[in-house]
Amino acid sequence: MPAKRKAPATQAAAIKAGRTSAMSTPGPATPRSIDDSSVMSDADEDFDEDVPEEQKRREEMLTKEADDFVNKFTFGAKRLHGQPDDKGRRYDAATPFFRKRDFSHLPLKPDHQNRPLWIDPDNCTIVLERFNPLAEQATDFLITIAEPKSRPTFLHEYTLTPHSLYAAVSVGLRPKDIINTLDRFLKTALPDSVRREIEHHTRSYGKVKLVLKHNRYFVESVDAEVLQMLLKDKEIGALRVQGSNEITTSYAPTMGGLVIPGTQNAAGVHQANLKQAEKKPGEGGDAPNEADLFATLNEEDDDDEKEAVHSFEIADINVEKVQKRCLDIGFPILEEYDFRNDDVNPNLEIDLRPNTQIRPYQEKSLSKMFGNGRAKSGIIVLPCGAGKTLVGITAACTIKKGVIVLCTSSMSVVQWRQEFLKWSNINPDDIAIFTAESKNKFLGSTGIIVTTYSMVTNSRERSHDSKKMMDFLRGREWGLMLLDEVHVVPAEMFRRVISSIKSHSKLGLTATLLREDDRISHLNFLIGPKLYEANWMELSQQGHIAKVQCAEVWCPMPTEFYDEYLRASARMKRTLYAMNPRKFQACQYLINYHEARGDKIIVFSDELYSLKQYALKLKKVFIYGGTSQAERMQVLENFQHNPEVNTLFLSKIGDTSLDLPEATCLIQISSHFGSRRQEAQRLGRILRAKRRNDEGFNAFFYSLVSKDTQEMYYSSKRQAFLVDQGYAFKVITQLANIENTPDLAFATPQECRELLQRTLVDNEKGAEDDVETDDLFGSKPGRGRKNNKLGGGGGGPAVRRTAGMLSELSGAQDMAYIERNKAANKALKQNKKRGAGGEGQSAFFKKIQREKEKSKAQARAG
Amino acid sequence: MVRAIRGVLIECEPAIKSIIVHLDSANNDIIIEDLDETHLVVKENMVQVLKQKLDDRLKETYRPEEPLEDSE
Repeated sequence: MPAKRKAPATQAAAIKAGRTSAMSTPGPATPRSIDDSSVMSDADEDFDEDVPEEQKRREEMLTKEADDFVNKFTFGAKRLHGQPDDKGRRYDAATPFFRKRDFSHLPLKPDHQNRPLWIDPDNCTIVLERFNPLAEQATDFLITIAEPKSRPTFLHEYTLTPHSLYAAVSVGLRPKDIINTLDRFLKTALPDSVRREIEHHTRSYGKVKLVLKHNRYFVESVDAEVLQMLLKDKEIGALRVQGSNEITTSYAPTMGGLVIPGTQNAAGVHQANLKQAEKKPGEGGDAPNEADLFATLNEEDDDDEKEAVHSFEIADINVEKVQKRCLDIGFPILEEYDFRNDDVNPNLEIDLRPNTQIRPYQEKSLSKMFGNGRAKSGIIVLPCGAGKTLVGITAACTIKKGVIVLCTSSMSVVQWRQEFLKWSNINPDDIAIFTAESKNKFLGSTGIIVTTYSMVTNSRERSHDSKKMMDFLRGREWGLMLLDEVHVVPAEMFRRVISSIKSHSKLGLTATLLREDDRISHLNFLIGPKLYEANWMELSQQGHIAKVQCAEVWCPMPTEFYDEYLRASARMKRTLYAMNPRKFQACQYLINYHEARGDKIIVFSDELYSLKQYALKLKKVFIYGGTSQAERMQVLENFQHNPEVNTLFLSKIGDTSLDLPEATCLIQISSHFGSRRQEAQRLGRILRAKRRNDEGFNAFFYSLVSKDTQEMYYSSKRQAFLVDQGYAFKVITQLANIENTPDLAFATPQECRELLQRTLVDNEKGAEDDVETDDLFGSKPGRGRKNNKLGGGGGGPAVRRTAGMLSELSGAQDMAYIERNKAANKALKQNKKRGAGGEGQSAFFKKIQREKEKSKAQARAG
Repeated sequence: MVRAIRGVLIECEPAIKSIIVHLDSANNDIIIEDLDETHLVVKENMVQVLKQKLDDRLKETYRPEEPLEDSE
């Protein structure tokens, strides 16, 4: 089976090929099938100027003999005879296929086979051949100057964007270096348009820096002329602090003395309890990352360690104006924090614990942030489970100033605090939590505050305590602002956070830097550029995250279901394709299969109704928005430790912020339309699998899709992100031996029809929408009533529903609710009992059990 | 007197049949005879219209191969 997205197109191509008009009408419908891509690759090879005459002639012969269809494959030969036009473009029969993407006019270098990069001069897209011997070097270079777009196994795609070039400049690359190195790796000469683009952006970006030094703002530049130019500008010139007329010259700080804690060479530094600022630049050789970076640019040998910088001072209040003006005239100001020379803000006693080792990619990402000895603001993108928290903590330990951490839920607030205590030697009194429940302050002069976005941005009436706390936050100057899960927060909220809390540097952390509404670009301005994006495939090969096999299972809809599906409303359609009995069977089959293998399985469903139906029918535990806190804990506990409970059904509350390292298999039965983020986040649930380093271990990710429904469309959309990260989705059209499953659900048409009827009836009445916004743990007291409504109206047989209604009248709705959920609970309790006196247990454990019980009884008696 | 309607026999997957039946249910002007799960007889003059409608319908389900952005 070829890659799935191409399948329908292939058919279309076959049909079109018969028609003569197909080639002359390259409308949007023109098939781009596998055939076409082979034309492309053939053409590329044939365009080699070294093609021997003999081969050309042979190809000519072939062209004559072959019929129309075969012709398609030999266009490359024809192309050589096409006449170049004034721009050097050749035109031939194959040209329409490439439309504007015909770059055959770019001459290939004679030794192009040894060079790994292709380039699209129009939109600065670079394609890297991973199989090329130079690919490693080229990758290192590309990560520095371009943004990765797509990284499947053999061909990687990168794009040069203003922001990526800006980031490149900010780690110390010069335009000349970028252009030379790029030219060296390219198969063709560097197109002028790209060269201009690079020069344009690198000239304007990063040339001017705004530095907060001794708590005074300086505009700083390596290039004195630029500063002169700025000063001549009417607005900026007027804003300069008078009395400092001379442009001062000093030396740029280097990476030299700075050692990121936790890295290999930092180990020694930990022992020597010296202030890092006092380190001599003689240890410059210690900075391996920087060295690596420069090594890739071997044209550029002298590390410009001692570069003169020029600066002039501006007043605090004018910072905003200067920034704006500089942006207007095309010199955006780069903000950096020279934390080592900041004597005004007190230092925080924090260091990583000596036994903490950070991983190579975490080190790489941090070296981007602290590339020149100062802290740059920006975003670090690491897959779920790859240790984003540790990166944040290490950054905090490097800066050693007041830190404010913003996260998405009150549960993760607690987690962040715990992580800080676990990885660093910070005094527990110095790290405080600011949530609705607790509003602590640190005791010393500086410290760490962990809070949520909503606490900080809440504009409504606040309690006295939190108002006082906010004033405290606003009144201080923070060294570092850590923003967890940056992708979830709307831009407006950020603006409010950033405007209200002053911090020298900001670090955003996320796994999936994408939003369906494409507002992610706002973050570039609000926080900073993307500093680093990890390669998922590389991490999984190195064993930092689990290897995952992805599969999409196509489940045909039975005719009755499909008929109903066609007639149904959009909402009902979703329920119907989730309730597809074939899907149910596939789910059952997969659960059986993986439980037998000893996997722990999480089943995700966005549809509450189907979630419950599946879980009840298959007798598995489940958690959704309405599950009480205690029950959630019990279920999660059992899932983690009880060998009898291997499958957990989760609604979308489990998408994020749920850490279950036991889970090794994931089945998705319904999902939120075409959300790429959800897909990636869900996959993240199994990436940190505990058993990932076992030999030959694979985690499994199944997405069950009802055939011929909208789900197919959404599913291909959802996968786009993971496909770009290099994951390949296998399509399974038929699960082997599924019909031999014992107790297969809905095996007869009769049962199917019953299921259909029940689904229709249940959902017609309970037209309530199952919106769940809360995260897994952040339950609020006001939610009790809503939950019960969900529990009562969410489905189930009609009789029970009536009971729920009555009980609601009598005010005892909790009773009805508990009744409904007993399936999961009871099973767990029974298990416990059976575990106590079970026959399957060895005598030894029974004995321990008895002793425990005895001591308990004694304790109670005493 | 015998009245004859020219028809075309269509063989298709059950799902496609369901869609055709659904299209027909609007004003019953397509199907002449519903034979079984995979076979239908439809009016000959409606075949083109039907194809068009089916194409539209299937676009909702399948993601067409994304055309390269040429608009730039």
